[in-house]
Amino acid sequence: MSITRMFRDWDKYRKASPSGDLEKDHPDYKWAMAIDLDICTGCNACVVACYAENNVPTVGKDRFEHGQTMHWLRIERYWNEADAETPHRGAQFMPMMCQQCAAAPCETVCPVGATNQTPDGLNSQVYNRCIGSRYCSANCPYKVRYFNWYDYPEQEVAWPEPLPMQLNPDLTVRSKGIMEKCTFCIQRLRAAQSTARTEGRLVRDGEVLPACAQSCPSGAIVFGNLADPYSQVAKLWRQQQVELHKDKQDKDKTGDNGGVRGYRILEELRAYPSVLYLERVRDTKA
Amino acid sequence: MSTIRILGLFDDFDAAAHSIREVRDGHFPALKMDDVTIKSPIEHPDVEELLGDRPAPIRKYTFAGSILGGVLGFLFLASSQGNFFAQHKGGKPIIPLPPDLVLTYELLILGGVYITVLGFLICAGLPARMRSDLYNIKISEDQIGVMVKSDAHTVAEIKKIFERHHALSIAEEVIE
Amino acid sequence: MPDFTKGEEKDIRDTIAWAQINGDVLRSLSKPRFAFWALFTFALCLFSIGVACEVYQWRRGLGVANFDNPHVWGLYISTFIFWIGMSHSGTLLSAILHIIHADWRKPIYRFAEAMTTFSLMTAGLFVLIHLGRLWKFYYSLPYPSERMLWPNFQSPLLWDAIAIFTYLTSSILFLYVGAIPDFAICRDNATGWRKHFYSMLSLGWMGTDRQWRSFRVTYLTIACFLIPLAVSVHSIVASDFAMSQQPGWHVTSFPPYFVAGALYSGCAAIITLFIVLRYTFRFEEYMTMPILDKVGRLTFAIAMVWTYLNFVEYASVWYGDDMYAKDLLIQKATGPYSPFWWGMNFCGSVVPLLLLSKSVRGSPTAMMIVSLLLNLGMWLERWMIVAPTFSHGYYPWTMDHDQWPGFVQWGIVLGSFGWFGLLFMLFCKLVPSVSMYEVKEMVYHRTLAQRHAREA
Repeated sequence: MSITRMFRDWDKYRKASPSGDLEKDHPDYKWAMAIDLDICTGCNACVVACYAENNVPTVGKDRFEHGQTMHWLRIERYWNEADAETPHRGAQFMPMMCQQCAAAPCETVCPVGATNQTPDGLNSQVYNRCIGSRYCSANCPYKVRYFNWYDYPEQEVAWPEPLPMQLNPDLTVRSKGIMEKCTFCIQRLRAAQSTARTEGRLVRDGEVLPACAQSCPSGAIVFGNLADPYSQVAKLWRQQQVELHKDKQDKDKTGDNGGVRGYRILEELRAYPSVLYLERVRDTKA
Repeated sequence: MSTIRILGLFDDFDAAAHSIREVRDGHFPALKMDDVTIKSPIEHPDVEELLGDRPAPIRKYTFAGSILGGVLGFLFLASSQGNFFAQHKGGKPIIPLPPDLVLTYELLILGGVYITVLGFLICAGLPARMRSDLYNIKISEDQIGVMVKSDAHTVAEIKKIFERHHALSIAEEVIE
Repeated sequence: MPDFTKGEEKDIRDTIAWAQINGDVLRSLSKPRFAFWALFTFALCLFSIGVACEVYQWRRGLGVANFDNPHVWGLYISTFIFWIGMSHSGTLLSAILHIIHADWRKPIYRFAEAMTTFSLMTAGLFVLIHLGRLWKFYYSLPYPSERMLWPNFQSPLLWDAIAIFTYLTSSILFLYVGAIPDFAICRDNATGWRKHFYSMLSLGWMGTDRQWRSFRVTYLTIACFLIPLAVSVHSIVASDFAMSQQPGWHVTSFPPYFVAGALYSGCAAIITLFIVLRYTFRFEEYMTMPILDKVGRLTFAIAMVWTYLNFVEYASVWYGDDMYAKDLLIQKATGPYSPFWWGMNFCGSVVPLLLLSKSVRGSPTAMMIVSLLLNLGMWLERWMIVAPTFSHGYYPWTMDHDQWPGFVQWGIVLGSFGWFGLLFMLFCKLVPSVSMYEVKEMVYHRTLAQRHAREA
């Protein structure tokens, strides 16, 4: 009976997350990333890999100009004010994808519960459940959710022949009217997790990588299990003194950011993103 | 002994009130005050008072409806949340009280309004079949009707009272 | 026409016979002016435009309405708030003024209450049109399924849905219960199919003391429920924005600001419809200029409350000194949206000052123009709440200042006015848009009061 079950588990249901105890919140897995912006060359290999892996439709020139592009992972370019006269000299690059927030603003506002926190710390998107109210995108501070404004599988521009042959069979193509976003290549994670479970162990560090991390020629994107203290990503987070459950890191209180480069974007909004960026923050006004 | 209904139509509330007062003070043994009915185009609480205390327990329905709406509403919300994907959304508790209270408030009003209307229908005896009752379309326009149900003798007396107060028209109907 | 600038004018001529009230109002159900049919056709045309746009959008996807990544909402949500807001004044007239015994509401509350119901229906339409997968809208309803899938009750959209459902059905019940005595009048005077129609609607109402007593209590009780309900509905709509964390939306004062805006635009709409009905149905005897004058004053008072809350919002953003919100405010005043933003402030805060003038309040033409300007201002207000936040959010890379709503969006917005117009005019043709029994009460009580005054 549902009400009995509700009262039995009342205590469990009343707790919020992230609680600060990573062990308790995520006993096995907590997928996370660390991206070193000083290593990133802006080559866009990750973007191409993401399009290929995730059946992301290309929308064509017109719709790109209308801002209706679907890139789950985008390389943003920023110029220093000093370089305004000579933009060709080079920009700062930033790969931006869904930050898989631990307390994601998109999740609470979805009227149908199509987006949820998974036990392994991902922000899932259930395509079948989505009705397309787009509230999640409205409430996303990073604007990394992409809406299917058209029925892309039916559109010539999305996958002209013979591109349908290269579509990834491990995941679906999305129809019009639903929201989609970076999943950290959940199809790969699930496959690795289930192999590991069959073998009675946890996924080893480096055993599974999302397409972007796998294809990054300079190795700027590090991906792994934050719940495993020996994984490379957990080491980086520790080294950069960034903790998942804090909206203001202890190191930032010292004034010189503790001498390390790690930061999370818009951390003060308390979304607790799972992607750590490595770059010295120079805008002192922010 | 047959029961008869009589309906007298009056031009204004004063005439109707006077005749009701006279019927009431006439102390007819066969007449119960509950069998006297006013039919009027607008409400008139003062004249209605002449008929004695006739409670309309609608507020009880209202009370029961809102309590039911609120309690059942909250239980419904919390139990469905407790069963649907026990996964955190936005780091919030799985049964978050602030939004549930907002919704409980709405459902309280929903229950209250619905049951109040139900209570209204029950207390006002609606929907009613018009055929079973004396009525005149002038009542919905500008005349005030006084209807009395009693035995033939009393009705004859009441008819005299109506006539004394210049009833515009009088209709009678034998029930059984 | 009497001169209203001198002395106290009466709200209603108290020598008017009850039979004449019946006759005048019932005539509106059968023989309106030609203007009625002209307006009806116009509304039908607008509605067809909306339908065509919606069909196109349904088949092709929402992209045709020219949305893009930051601009995921657009005119649909702004117009949704506009219609929800408009509904609130019906409740103001019929419920709040009822419990404070302001009896000048009596000739005009029926159409105001109908406006509430129909603008809610129009608003509900926008929620659906806005969805990417309209054909799956039932996922957001709390219906039992074997997979135990429920909607997410944390979402302000769900609160919206439940609040609007409650408000819509309660308003319909309130409107209906209040109209039962009038349906009985229609039944007694109608022939043919109308006789059956009104017999069904009047539920066999005979105006007995028992019915009137229950009626009185019920009407008051629902009125008492509706007032907090109306306030909560627009607070919840405000929560759609205030509960999110976007700059320009995450403002604590939004709920009262929205409620004030709602009453404001609703009052302006009441003035518009007042003048339209007064002309098309020849209701000069009932919808009198002194009543319009009172509505005008009420509108002015609410306009000033709105202006105050508007400045409170600007001030709290400015002095709150949140980088993103302040940036957005500056962007609104100077960026590509600035003509609309200044237009909204002008129409919302400066135009109502015209209502201070007695000659403006005494002229139907002037009032019509003012009310339309006020409504334009309030529509712009809703647009200026929704769109600039998308164009200038937290994330600089996705700022997009140039997006302009596509013709499909404009078409559907126009269509919604047509839909509202159609519903409203059908209503006025089928249901007495002046409450006959309450006008009788008003006349009766005025006569009594005069008689008492003479005797004393």
